[in-house]
Amino acid sequence: MKYSYIKPRKKSIISGELQLIFSFFSITLFMLFLTYAFLLFKDYRFAQNIQDIKQKMVELESSVQRMNSQITFIEKEVQLSERITTKNTVLKDSIANLFDLVPQRITLSQATLLKNGLILHGVTPNKDVYNFMLQAPLRSIFHRTYSSFYESQNGWLRFVSTNYIDEEELSLESPKYEEVKEVDDEN
Amino acid sequence: MLSKLFESIYSKIFVAIVIERSKSVVYIQVSSKKHTPKNYHKSFETTEFSTKMKEYIDSFTGESPFSYICVLDYSEDQGAIPTCSTKDMSVFGDFSASKMMCHENEWAYFTSATGIETIKKTYAEVGIDFIFSSFSVLSSFFKDKIDTHLGLFVLLEDNYITLGVFDKTKLLFGEHLNVEHDNDQDDMMMDSTDSEIDLDLDSSIDLDDIDSMSDIDGLDDFGDIEDLDAIDEIDEFSQSQDDEILDEEEDFLVQDPSGFNEDYQRFIAIQSSVNRFYKDSKYQSKFIETVYIADAIGVSPDLKTYLEEEMFFSVFVRHIDLGGEIIDLAKAELK
Repeated sequence: MKYSYIKPRKKSIISGELQLIFSFFSITLFMLFLTYAFLLFKDYRFAQNIQDIKQKMVELESSVQRMNSQITFIEKEVQLSERITTKNTVLKDSIANLFDLVPQRITLSQATLLKNGLILHGVTPNKDVYNFMLQAPLRSIFHRTYSSFYESQNGWLRFVSTNYIDEEELSLESPKYEEVKEVDDEN
Repeated sequence: MLSKLFESIYSKIFVAIVIERSKSVVYIQVSSKKHTPKNYHKSFETTEFSTKMKEYIDSFTGESPFSYICVLDYSEDQGAIPTCSTKDMSVFGDFSASKMMCHENEWAYFTSATGIETIKKTYAEVGIDFIFSSFSVLSSFFKDKIDTHLGLFVLLEDNYITLGVFDKTKLLFGEHLNVEHDNDQDDMMMDSTDSEIDLDLDSSIDLDDIDSMSDIDGLDDFGDIEDLDAIDEIDEFSQSQDDEILDEEEDFLVQDPSGFNEDYQRFIAIQSSVNRFYKDSKYQSKFIETVYIADAIGVSPDLKTYLEEEMFFSVFVRHIDLGGEIIDLAKAELK
């Protein structure tokens, strides 16, 4: 039963001084644990960062390899394109030279460029014009030259000139040609 | 759970502070489950809280964290009313500034809220756990009688009287009186009578002077100046004798009335309270035949005689150990 006008104060076995000491110690311990936890967290973050960096390194290495292979491929493509360009230039020059070879009196209707030869279809007024003005320079270029004629409706002659360069003879003429070819085969 | 374990390990220290007219008494009880309670008490010649009192209390309370300090409410604005209902309280006065405590849903005792704060502030250095009303002490002390009897129950303290009319646990009337205040008025009255006495003494001195003059007439045969000087000495002697008589009378007035007047004053206070109970229509009036007195000061038999002869009461006096009773209340409240 309640008799007193006021409630009794709460009793504690820990005095004020002890409470102060305990609170100081607990704050210190709490701060130490906090620091320890912070360091653990930082350590974990560092380890995670290292793993990430390692993974990135692997990824970068693989990408570098990929890029290197791409570079190699591109370089090969460049070389190929250069070779093609060179060949085209050579071909262009050859065609230009070919057309320069053809005299005005002979008309070409078809020209077929082969790897080691040239086939020309055209019309000539007569065999002599062909023989002196076209066949002579063709023979100076190609090793073997074959010509066939057949008469067209207007009395002119249609011709088919088949010209070949023999590679054995070419290597004998210029040894560098063979070496260049071997290098191309290796690539 | 843990606190109960610690409570069983540590002993409990109960400190009861009782303020008397010119001194404070500190009662201490050290109780533990293993040993019988040990009681101590010490009086301090001051009614204020002193450093010596604090040192004395601290010497005990330092032994255990479970120490409880109790004070008997000494504010003058305390009392008791025969209802716990807030509606009915307004009949007995304005209690807006009072702290009310309901006792078993039958009656309520109250004190001023400022009085409680004053007590708390006074004992702030040691702290207060319980403030008990004299009415709760009275009802607890006479519980065996209150539960079964109709009568006037009185708690006599050094300077206070707490009285209540109970009819089988039901309070009919309650009042807390300050006897010291009334005694001050008495002292003032005594001072005025002293002055009258002084006047009478002056007149008696005159008469003595006349007597001495007649003696001088009888001594005319000596006829020399030395005798006149001797007359002066005689006068001085007679005056010093008078002073001694006065001192003796004053001593008599100081010593004797302290027992007589206080008891009579207490009787007058009780009588006037009983009259108020009978006459005031607020209170349910019942005829009182018996008076139970809880005597905390060792009152003289005169008070009992006055009450028996003047008011025809049957008077029973029981000595009360106020400190022990307060500590018992604290224990009961902690259970």
